[in-house]
Amino acid sequence: MNWPQRFEAELVRLGVQPVVARRLTADTAAQAGEHDADPDGFFGPAHLYARHLVAELQTPAAGTAPERCVPGQVMLQLSGVGKRYRRRAVFSGVDLTVRGGEVAAIVGANGCGKSTLLRICAGLTPPSCGTVHRTRRVGFVPQDGGTAGWLTAEEHFTLFGAAAGMVPRKAISTGTHLASLLAWRPSRVQPVQELSGGTRQKLNLVLGELHGPDLLLLDEPYQGFDQGSYLDFWRQVRSWRDAGRAVVVVTHLLHELQNVDHVLDLGAVAGRVA
Amino acid sequence: MTPRPWLHGFLDLCLLAMLRERPDYGYGLAQRLAAAGVADIPGGTLYPALLRLEQQGLASPSWAPSESGPRRKYYEITPAGLAALQAQAAEWRAFRDGVDLLIGAPVR
Repeated sequence: MNWPQRFEAELVRLGVQPVVARRLTADTAAQAGEHDADPDGFFGPAHLYARHLVAELQTPAAGTAPERCVPGQVMLQLSGVGKRYRRRAVFSGVDLTVRGGEVAAIVGANGCGKSTLLRICAGLTPPSCGTVHRTRRVGFVPQDGGTAGWLTAEEHFTLFGAAAGMVPRKAISTGTHLASLLAWRPSRVQPVQELSGGTRQKLNLVLGELHGPDLLLLDEPYQGFDQGSYLDFWRQVRSWRDAGRAVVVVTHLLHELQNVDHVLDLGAVAGRVA
Repeated sequence: MTPRPWLHGFLDLCLLAMLRERPDYGYGLAQRLAAAGVADIPGGTLYPALLRLEQQGLASPSWAPSESGPRRKYYEITPAGLAALQAQAAEWRAFRDGVDLLIGAPVR
């Protein structure tokens, strides 16, 4: 399939009516034509621009009353989840429901089990009690690690893409585009161990999103980001939300909480146990 | 040039203001924004904004042939667009005056 076909197919997959998708595809081809550019270079990978456009069209214009999209289906549901190590209860009785189009924040002091809870959400750590239901397509971004120091960023894209059934070319173009949204242009030859801590975090973030998951689980993924990257990150969170995905983010930055739909204060939950 | 986060809230206003002057197509609007020193705006930001104006009935499109290359989609401001422009321009002026007030005397 060529760019316009992939673009149109992705629009339809995202729920745009076929007639409208056809019209948007024709428009988009003409727009790239105005600039004498090919659409791939001008708009980036077809499926990503399709998602961006759908999210933009759902955003109200400035000056009109903001209307948030209606929360979609449940992507993550925790009921009565607890974790204990030997006889020490870390937390218990955690309930949390996150739907598509919602952002949840997990907050609390160091050592109260935020990262453990996120790993339980991801299915990487079993809970001691309670139940976890999650959607099938999940992206998990750990606080650090998960990358191989001697491989380049592109090799990571290919590797993680292959695990999700993506061909190398698509994995690389998707990864490169997602990196550009975080103001990062990966070098083709530099092994990851030579990257700064903040840039390695960007790589982690891109890898978590590469396969277009419906549920994103992020563990303080902005450590080491400069101010601009930090703003880019929260803009990304909003655009995922507006595209109907569910986001769970572990954070200690309280001033970001006005932008989220649910706040789970694990410190308060743990305090109740003790 | 102004970093993009600033423009984001006022892009619609700028587009409507340019369309009030005369109907135009995407590339022309991008050129005018750049020439005014407001922003070098990427296509992935401009065209979704234009489609949004169209969808909300603030601008109405029409296709016109071009001397070179593919036909162009020209946008014309609608009465609803003019009303939105007026409201947003008032908001912008209040915002600008507030920032000016905070900055105080011109910085040397």
